[in-house]
Amino acid sequence: MKYEKISDKVYRVKMRDASDDELKKISDEMGLALNLEEMKRIKEYFSNLGRDPTDVEIHAIAQAWSEHCSYKSSKPILRKYIFGIESPHTIVVMQDDAGVVEFDENHAYVFKIESHNHPSAVEPYGGAATGVGGIIRDVLNMGAKPIALVDPLFFAPPDYPYKKLRQGIKHPRYLLKGVVSGIRDYGNRVGIPTVAGITYFDEGYVNNILVNAGCLGIVKKDKIVRSRVTKPDVLLVMVGGRTGRDGIHGVNFASKVLSEKSEEEREAVQLGNPILKEPLIHLILEANEMGIIHGMKDLGGGGLGSVVGEMCYSGGVGAEVHLDKVLLKERDMAPWEIWVSESQERMLLAIEEENLEKLKNLCDKWDVEISVIGKSIMEKNLRIYWQGRKILDLPLNFLTGGVEYNRPYKIQKIEKMQEIPPEPKYREIFLNLLSSINIASKEWIIRQYDHEVQGKTVIKPLQGEIGFETHGDAAVIKPLHDSWRGIAITTVANPQIARIDPYVGSLYTMDEAVRNLVAVGAKPHALSDCLNFGNPEKEEIMGEFVESSRGLGEAGRFLEIPFVSGNVSFYNEAFRMNIPPTVVLMAVGIIEDMRKAITTDLKKEGNPVYLVGETREEMGGSDYYRMIGVRSTYVPRVDLSETKRRSEELLKAMKSGLILSCHDVSHGGLAVTLAEMAIGGNIGAEIDLRSMGVMRDDFKLFSESPTRWVCEVQRGKEGEFEKIVNATKIGYVGGNSLRVRDGERWLFNVHLNILRSRWKNGLKDYLG
Amino acid sequence: MKVAILQMEGTNCEEESFIAFRDSGFEPEYVHINLLKPGDLEKYNVLFIPGGFSAGDYVRAGAIFAARLKAKIWKDLKNFVDEGKIVMGVCNGFQVLIELGLLPAVDGISDEPQAALMVNDSNKFECRWTYLRRENDTIFTSKVPEVITLPVAHAEGKFVAPNKILEKIEEQKQVVFRYVKPDGSKADYPWNPNGSMNDIAAITNPQGNVLGIMPHPERAFFWYQHPDWTRKKREKGDGSLIFKSLIKYS
Repeated sequence: MKYEKISDKVYRVKMRDASDDELKKISDEMGLALNLEEMKRIKEYFSNLGRDPTDVEIHAIAQAWSEHCSYKSSKPILRKYIFGIESPHTIVVMQDDAGVVEFDENHAYVFKIESHNHPSAVEPYGGAATGVGGIIRDVLNMGAKPIALVDPLFFAPPDYPYKKLRQGIKHPRYLLKGVVSGIRDYGNRVGIPTVAGITYFDEGYVNNILVNAGCLGIVKKDKIVRSRVTKPDVLLVMVGGRTGRDGIHGVNFASKVLSEKSEEEREAVQLGNPILKEPLIHLILEANEMGIIHGMKDLGGGGLGSVVGEMCYSGGVGAEVHLDKVLLKERDMAPWEIWVSESQERMLLAIEEENLEKLKNLCDKWDVEISVIGKSIMEKNLRIYWQGRKILDLPLNFLTGGVEYNRPYKIQKIEKMQEIPPEPKYREIFLNLLSSINIASKEWIIRQYDHEVQGKTVIKPLQGEIGFETHGDAAVIKPLHDSWRGIAITTVANPQIARIDPYVGSLYTMDEAVRNLVAVGAKPHALSDCLNFGNPEKEEIMGEFVESSRGLGEAGRFLEIPFVSGNVSFYNEAFRMNIPPTVVLMAVGIIEDMRKAITTDLKKEGNPVYLVGETREEMGGSDYYRMIGVRSTYVPRVDLSETKRRSEELLKAMKSGLILSCHDVSHGGLAVTLAEMAIGGNIGAEIDLRSMGVMRDDFKLFSESPTRWVCEVQRGKEGEFEKIVNATKIGYVGGNSLRVRDGERWLFNVHLNILRSRWKNGLKDYLG
Repeated sequence: MKVAILQMEGTNCEEESFIAFRDSGFEPEYVHINLLKPGDLEKYNVLFIPGGFSAGDYVRAGAIFAARLKAKIWKDLKNFVDEGKIVMGVCNGFQVLIELGLLPAVDGISDEPQAALMVNDSNKFECRWTYLRRENDTIFTSKVPEVITLPVAHAEGKFVAPNKILEKIEEQKQVVFRYVKPDGSKADYPWNPNGSMNDIAAITNPQGNVLGIMPHPERAFFWYQHPDWTRKKREKGDGSLIFKSLIKYS
């Protein structure tokens, strides 16, 4: 008998004399997702104490030690590369649930991006909705008002054959529709605009989709709340939703590979309720304005278990919790279930006793439930009581101090090669690229998200003439009524390059973040990273992680853009297939005066068009090569000093009002950039590639070399522009078609209507 | 001019609405439905029901908000309208006014809804900018030019009514705005974003003191909220002209 009942729904687990096999069995039976080494460590700990643990204690430890909560595989690498990049503007960096950065003298912005991958793979609608709900709470619990959401998504192609799907794997079209609906119904209902995102398709995500969600908020500097309790006898108060069995073991679920059995773990997926969240946001912000919140943290992954421990541990105190006080959705929950439940819409507030009445009154107004579940104590222990009996007593440094691994890794050697295809039919290949799923219009998705609510989105995700809009590079939010200062937001990811060379993939992604922000006229300011990888217990996957982190750190340091928050998602593996290394960045820039912001749509006939940056014959990872099935490992080389210099030049020209439209060159190369600009402006252009020098025309058109932008310059200001920006004039705005030649040789001439319909329908045709 | 901006769980356009009223010279206040008591409405000149997803729109858009208003202050609300005070509902607020029977109210306030705002023809939520043509002279539109642009953001905005009701709405000149193409001609999708009958975007009651509008004027209050401000200069947002008309009326 391994389990002995000691109280109502509480068991003692006899592990002191358990064999290795029995330890593994305990881990499996209890759903702990701990390996043998970790189980042995627990056994040793309790042997030294001279007693067996309760089931609550084991569950609490398993949760705190899960990859999701402890970052046990990633922390040493993150510390080496990503943490500690200096910036004079940062306020809270990589400590609480979201990063805090100075916005202006009196305000700060708060933001973070994180993953919600496994739940979304199993239950796309609920998983994605909960992902949005969770990230909103991360921003809210710093005391900030959430004002923008972003959603990068990764699926297999929508035409993936059903026959090739493994058992238990859902079709990408079903997953995409479910995820988009989940984000839409949650984000729209809660009244926060979704302003940016990515929808990326690759077969590498067929068994394991990625759903990342980011949120940004704004707070007065003197109202920033920390996720910590710094003295004893502060009340621990739960507000918001009740606690149920939904989301039991979510973090453990997130910390192992998916399989055909994952469907059976649907209960690990939490259920969100935006109409509970909406008043909760009001309540929290009003309480914060009154200054009655001592500390605050949301209950996300790990539930009460991780929140109580982390809040008290980081503030240097302990905690005493009475689990009978927690309001439940269903009776008969065992204490361990209450402790690890990840039910949504719950926040833990630390409140001084004298302020409790005020908080209760606010709860009455907003119809939100509240219960006092315990208090902080001097001794740095966690103590849990159940029906008056102590059922857990552990020192916080053992529980929350956690574990860390220096996992072995192997860095793959890259054989340099580049095949050269025969010259293509330009018009055909160009239109095929324009309508390919990774390039085609994402309007079907973007318009289902309310990107206008709150009235602060001054540069929208879709830009240009009304009814003819094109993709923008970044959105701009004007957070304050009485200031022109704006926040630019973009999200970027380039797994197609990272899968060839993860280090360069990171540099390229950093370059693209800068490109996008600069394109709207914003100076890059801070980053949040969501690192999605396969199984870290495999050396080559760990190698990808190390190389990706190295690239991010190097670029962040050189460009002086700090990473202020982030999330690592490992174990994105199923059926022995790991996802491509997927670094997702949520990048934030500051635009001093949003009236100077720039959009991507061409503006006016007769204005000159310039190309900024070097185009090189490096086709590895390009959409062109991938579409025609030609191989290359020559990925675009990034020169960070160029990134820096060219952005500074462009920002200067924008400040002087010389640039009327600007779009970065990325997927599909120069040709696609020009097409998108023409589509949004509802006006064509005539382009001559001769000034780009001697190179094959398909490389000129479709190369994805970094650090490039296309700019439309005010007519008559060419001289002034050229003095500031090192750029090549390639043509003029005008006409109702995009006409491209290289000297005397015409490559294509495509009418705007054809451009628009191919671009607009490429993805929509699959989604209806 | 005191304005009550009603709140309940799920309303979420109250802040931009508050700014729009305040900057137009009104005195707006937030009033949460949970704190609303009989008699409270008396001190206000305007009752504003903002957009959002009251109670999640889980039953039918606006239905629960309407039911709670009826339960709490139905008599006061009817008096408010009969006295000629102003009621304005945007998006979800429009849906609430129809559920209440305050619109279209072709023969006076009705016990049953006479029309509906149904699921869009595209069968999904859509956030996009529309062109609107001003139809009849109302206290809400005296300062509004013939064609303006405002954003819509809804899943249920298709205005439908039985033919007889629709005829009366037209006859009594209750239509305030119709969706049109940029050149002012008759709209098709996406210019009519939801499939509304007669391209109806906004109506009043026959007396002209209750307005329901699907597009969001409060989201187009400032020039920089328009999506094409980098292409076209404006002094102020088109939506502000509706608030301006109303303050002038008072």
